[in-house]
Amino acid sequence: MDAFFGDIYSVAIFILQFFKEAFSGPFEFKEIVNQCYKVGSKSLALVSLTGLVTGIVFTTQSRPSLSVFGASSWLPSLVAIAVIRALAPLVTALIVAGKVGSNIGAELGSMKVTEQIDAMEVSGTNPFKFLVTTRIIATTFMMPVLILYTGFVGMMGSFLNVYQNESTSFPAFFKSAFSSIVFLDIYASLFKALCFGFTIGVAGCYQGYNAQNGTQGVGRAANLAVVISMYLIFIEEITIVQLINTIR
Amino acid sequence: MKLFENNQTVKVGIFIFIGLLILMVTIFTLGGQKKTFAKTFVVNAYFKDVSGLQSGGNIWLSGVKIGTVKKISFQSDYQVQVTMHIENDAKEYIHKDSKAKIGSDGLIGNKIIIIYGGTPAAGHIVEDDVLSVENGLSTDDMLATLQVSNKNFEAITTDFKSISKKIDSGEGTLGALLNDPTIAVKLNETMTDLQLTVANLKVVSENSKYVISNFQEFSSKINKPGNSINDLVADTLMYSSINKSLTELRKAAGSVNQFAANLSTASGKLNDKDNAVGLLLNDPASAASMKNTLKNLETSSYKLDEDLEALQHNFLLRRYFKKKEKGKLD
Repeated sequence: MDAFFGDIYSVAIFILQFFKEAFSGPFEFKEIVNQCYKVGSKSLALVSLTGLVTGIVFTTQSRPSLSVFGASSWLPSLVAIAVIRALAPLVTALIVAGKVGSNIGAELGSMKVTEQIDAMEVSGTNPFKFLVTTRIIATTFMMPVLILYTGFVGMMGSFLNVYQNESTSFPAFFKSAFSSIVFLDIYASLFKALCFGFTIGVAGCYQGYNAQNGTQGVGRAANLAVVISMYLIFIEEITIVQLINTIR
Repeated sequence: MKLFENNQTVKVGIFIFIGLLILMVTIFTLGGQKKTFAKTFVVNAYFKDVSGLQSGGNIWLSGVKIGTVKKISFQSDYQVQVTMHIENDAKEYIHKDSKAKIGSDGLIGNKIIIIYGGTPAAGHIVEDDVLSVENGLSTDDMLATLQVSNKNFEAITTDFKSISKKIDSGEGTLGALLNDPTIAVKLNETMTDLQLTVANLKVVSENSKYVISNFQEFSSKINKPGNSINDLVADTLMYSSINKSLTELRKAAGSVNQFAANLSTASGKLNDKDNAVGLLLNDPASAASMKNTLKNLETSSYKLDEDLEALQHNFLLRRYFKKKEKGKLD
């Protein structure tokens, strides 16, 4: 139990240090762009594929239930609500947590156990700013963009499925889809994306930056980065949904 | 500049740009559909029951979305104020006496406000106007009505069950019709007769068609100028002449009538004894006297004949008669 609260304290200090480093110069723009590339562009293919499959599968699975009531025409609205409000942020976050979170944990863990971070400190480079801040900024700001891609591709996947089965035109599909969506849904999804991205970045960096016990520690850091990120993402999802429903 | 020469930077830039583009398109599509950027004006309505209407609910006019519900709040006991934002473009189609009611955009769809009715004479609605409302049927009301319908349907089916049972057991005319074979045979015969009647009617119909055709031909001939009937119908001079003849005929008939009346009077008088002829015809004594007179006259005539014969042989007149006879012979 002491270890649990000790970890909470350590994480809080870690986050405070992130904000301190993030808003103080010098700024590592090049490294931020490099991390954005790794987090964003490199994840795009995987995230897009997941989004497409999600859209198609969700539409296919929802059709029988709606067909019972003769309400197949509500498929676009249903898919839009599901994808934009919940699936796009959640699926993207889980994919990024698996791919990027583990990558960050393993990368920083390796650097930690091979004392590269210590070497950076000795050489006069701020390792926290260069390694942690850039990665957390990259995950935090790339996640909303990835979510937009996932949502778009997911809706396109849904459209393909609906077009194939109901021959619904493109304008009719998107008009129906947007009829059930409000601005609050978009803002909520983007807010969730920021939170999920920050969580993935913090969890990955914290576990990697504090890795111990050689190569075993690297594997443990990568594993914990993914597991903790996913747990926190689900908790945040529930909390933010409740918060948004209060506002709605 | 060196930063942008990096391939990664360009890729990240493109990635973020496309992401932002998707966001912008989404926002503008959503904004366009929700009419977020359209100019609106505020209109209020007070309902007793909003049936679960929510802020953001659509407002329809003739099935077209013209705005959204912005606020729902209690105004007083059993009165809910609904504040609506309606597009300026729709202002000219909503009149001051238009009404608002709570509706639904489908059988199980969201609650909406439907604006309807109104007369141009009342003028267009303006900012902060209050629309009169009509409290429509709620789902509970509809279910209550449906319950009554169900009970009626149950009663109907019960009656029908009783009727079908009677029919099946052969009770009543319909039952006998369905169950009694003799009626079926009679019905069959009736149908055969009916078929014959219809066949006859068909013949009659064809004959009547022929008659009508003849009649048409006849009437067409009548209508054709140059024949006597057409002249009779169409020639006004002939009509005048006929009319004159009829007048003369009527006058002649009048004279005949007068003559007949006089004759009747005369014949009547013949029956009376107060005149010579009537007395002669009706009084037997007079007839006897007359008969006697005639007898006397005959006798007298015979005697006179004899006297005149004797006179011819009289010496005084003999010479005259001889001379006369001689003159005849010459």
